[in-house]
Order: sequence, then structure tokens, then C-alpha cells
Amino acid sequence: MRRKISSIALNILLLMLGVITVYPFVWMLCSSFKKNSEIMALEQHLLPQEFILDNYVNMNAHFNFLRFFINSLVVTLVVTVLVVYTSTLCGFVLSKYKFKGRNLIFGFVLSTMMVPWCVTIIPKYSMIQSFGWMDSYKALIIPAMFSGFGIFMMKQHISSLPDEILEAARIDGANEFYIFQRIVFPMSKNGISSIAIFQFLWTWEDFLWPYLVINTQEKQLLAVGLKMFNGQYSTDYGALFAATAISIIPVLLIYLFFQKQFIAGIAASAVKG
Amino acid sequence: MFKKTHPLQSKSEIILRNIVVAAMVIFFSVFLIIPIGIAFAGSFHEWNPLSGTYNFLGLENYKDVFTSGLFGKSMLNTLIFSVVVIIFRVGLGLGIAYAIYSTLIKYKSFFRAVYYMPVVTPMVAVAFVWKFMYNPQIGTINQIFGLDVNWLMNPKTALIAVMLMTIWKDFGYAVVMYMAGLYSLPADALEAAKVDGANAWQTFRYITLPLLKPMTLFVVINSIIAYIQAYVQILIMTEGGPGTATYLASYIIYDEAFVKYNFGYASALSFVLFVITAVFSWLSFRVSGTEE
Repeated sequence: MRRKISSIALNILLLMLGVITVYPFVWMLCSSFKKNSEIMALEQHLLPQEFILDNYVNMNAHFNFLRFFINSLVVTLVVTVLVVYTSTLCGFVLSKYKFKGRNLIFGFVLSTMMVPWCVTIIPKYSMIQSFGWMDSYKALIIPAMFSGFGIFMMKQHISSLPDEILEAARIDGANEFYIFQRIVFPMSKNGISSIAIFQFLWTWEDFLWPYLVINTQEKQLLAVGLKMFNGQYSTDYGALFAATAISIIPVLLIYLFFQKQFIAGIAASAVKG
Repeated sequence: MFKKTHPLQSKSEIILRNIVVAAMVIFFSVFLIIPIGIAFAGSFHEWNPLSGTYNFLGLENYKDVFTSGLFGKSMLNTLIFSVVVIIFRVGLGLGIAYAIYSTLIKYKSFFRAVYYMPVVTPMVAVAFVWKFMYNPQIGTINQIFGLDVNWLMNPKTALIAVMLMTIWKDFGYAVVMYMAGLYSLPADALEAAKVDGANAWQTFRYITLPLLKPMTLFVVINSIIAYIQAYVQILIMTEGGPGTATYLASYIIYDEAFVKYNFGYASALSFVLFVITAVFSWLSFRVSGTEE
């Protein structure tokens, strides 16, 4: 009996914390379907009293939000695919090949994760300018092609693959490129999905770098676009809510679909590390 | 040389290895090592890309950093911010993870998934959501609690408001971490405590908590490193204001570098933060080394 009561109490407590956690999202979404007069009204209701879609429709007329969305999607997907591939390849070489200097290189890769963004961003910005990569997606993609975190995670992951499988393939005459593409890559699915998810999120939410290197408005990404939009339409709250919803909802949907992989990935980074 | 120790090493292995190692070394040299060198050199110069100045100053920038009232204030803010947010992050994370882990809760993965939601959402966007929630005109926070506070414009509440938002965004990470830690605890230790007749509190206090210590250190040190680098919520919600109430260390660097274009001074600032981060990273390695 006592057990039952404490179970109910604890469930209610966790549920309340859950409500607090999702409330900002719900409030934002509901507000994005309200008229400005209702958003500013003295007496407020969570659910829209008059449900309208105008905020979404009008927003795109002022400001090409859909364009930002597509730009972000393209850049993020390209960076994610590249990072997954390079991380798996480097992780494979660093975990399954024994050679002189391997630990040194791995230590070097680990130490790259410790460098704060602020140390390298000014020189990287100057370098991109002198390379003539300003205002081009090269500036967003090439400096992001390798990830210290990704290499670290994939090395940990691939070292747990049994050597016997690789040896068997080698005896059958497979070369190393074939082994990587056909054996290591497909067998690293769990590691790959967690890297992909992290990299996707990081690139999607990155603000400062695209803000610095992309000048043309049509080429800009969503996070920067959202800030510009807020600067220009700071009193059109309905549109602001709609713009914010568009930046958050896709990520939340992806999360809800893949939440198991998300959580397994983040937990693995600590337990193994 | 390699052949002797590894008889099975093939030609394709050597080719692949050389390509991969070369690619890594080139990439990290160009986009990390050389930039660190440039920033280090720049920190001794008056460096402004707009006017094209690059004049040697010696240690002047560093002297300015340590005598700057704003830097001192921002370090103090960063300290308060980090300590408060980390206490809540660890406290909530551990408490909630332990509650979910207990046999009293049935829908474990449901709760975990809900708490983790804010962690995966983009910071720029959620910072805007919270900025609107704090807005005295349209915001929901004053509405719910029947308050009349201009959260982000009042120097007394602005930092608290930003910390609250950060706690909301980040506690789920600690929940997931502690749950991973709890599920990898050695079953025999908990079994032994049960056999010895320890009650729930004693088991938690004397078995579970000490066994989770490495995870706590991991979360704390990673949080310190992350909060030294935090600036997006400040940029969106307060821009350091009102006055200097919410200036955080990394926000000053953003401000000096990309608003005022004092690249030299910003580089000096970032090297100071680099050293602080390196000390904590080193600590985290030492700690995880000795724990095992």
C-alpha cells in the first residue's frame, strides 16, 4: 500500500516536471496560431481562441523562410554525410591498424576537442577571407569535414568489432577498401547513427559561423535567418512565433522518431569514454 | 619496419593508412593548429581587419584583459552562472534519473525521452522562445505566476532568467548520463548491500552515490567547459545587458571580435579562456584516470 502511494506520488512529480519541460514548446506552437491582438491581450489562454494560419502564410511573403530552411537542410545533410564517412574511416584506421605514432595521432585528435570555439574562429574567419571562400558554402562545409568527436566515438565503436571477421575477409583476398566499405561500415550502424544525429544537430543550430561567412541573404541558414527576422519584425509576434516553430518542430520530429538512437548515442559517449 | 611486426599487413592497408593519416594531419593543421598559432601571434598585436591595422603591442592586450573591469565582471558572472546551473543540472539529473531507475516508475523511457527534448532543440530558437516567455507584454511567465517583472531588463533578474532557461535546456543531458551510469552499476555491489540489510537510503548514500562519482565528475567538468564557452543565449536574450549584468566570458569575445572588430584583444581574451579550459580538461583526464 505504502509502495503504491509513493509510486503514484513519484509518477505525478515526474509528470509535472515533464509538463514544465514541454510547456515552452506547446506555448510557442499555440501562440503561432493566434492573432497578434490575442497574443497581446490582457487575458491569455493557452489554446488559440481563434485558430489562424496567417502567421505562417504571411511570414513567407515578407521573408523567404522556406529558403533558409532548405539551405540549412542541404548544408546540414552534406556536412553530416561527410563527417560520418570521415569519422568511420579514421576510426577504422586508428582502431584496427597498428602502426608507429598511432597513439600520438589519436591523442592529437582527442586534444582537438578541448579547443574552445573562440580561439580559432578569428583566424579561421581571416583564412576563409584570404581563400576567397566568403559567401560560399565551401566555407561552411570544408572546415567541418573532420570531427574530433566523431573520430573518437567511431574509434571506440569499431575497436569492439571482432578482428576475426576482418581477418577472414583478408584471407579471402579482400583489399582494405573493400573491407571498410562492405564490412566495417555496415557493422558500425549504431555508432554511425549517433554521430549522424549529433552532427546534424550541431550543424543545424550553429549560428556564429554562418553568420560570419555568409553575406547574401538568400544563401543564409535558418538560425541566422531567425535572428535577422527577429531584428526586422520585432513586434509582429505571431510571425515570430511561426518562424521559431519552423526552426524547432522539424528537429523535435526527428528526435521523436529516433529518440532511442539519440539517447543510446549520448550515453555511449560517457560510459565508454 | 611495419612488415616485421605485422606479417599480414597488405599493400592496400598501407595505402589506406597513409591516406587517412595524411588527411587527418593536414585537416587539423589547417583548421586548428595554424589558426591557434595565428590567434596566439595576434594576441600580441593591435589587430583590426576593418582598418587593416596589425601593430605589435607586446603584452598590452593581456594587461588590458586583466585590468578590464568588464572582463572581471564577466568572469564573476560566468562563475555564478556555472555554479548555479551545474548544481541544478547535477541535482535534478541525479534525482530524476534515480527516480526513473527505481522500481516505482513504469514508463521509464517515456520520461527520459521527455526530459531530453530541450537538449536536442536548437539554442537560437529556444532562446527566442524563452525571451518571449519572459516578455512582460506577451510573456507567459508573469501571466502564470501573477507577477509583474521585466525579467530580462532588470539587472537583478536578468542573469537568473538566463540561468533558468539554461537549466531547463540542459538538465535532461544529466538525466540521460546518470541513467546510463545507474544501469551500468555492478549488480553484485547492490546485491551485497541488500544481503547486509541496508535500507534504500543507505544503499543510495554508501553504494550508489560513490559508484556514480566518476559520472558526476564527467558531467561537472564537461558542464564547466561548456559554460565557459556559452554565448548564444546571451546574444539572443540580453546582449550582455542590462548594463553588464549578463556579460559572460565568451560573449565578450564575440562582442570584441565581431561587433567591435578588436581581433587582437579578442584573441588575448580567448587565450585566457583557452588556458582555463585546458586546465579543466586536464583535470578531467586525471580524474578519470585515477578513478579507474
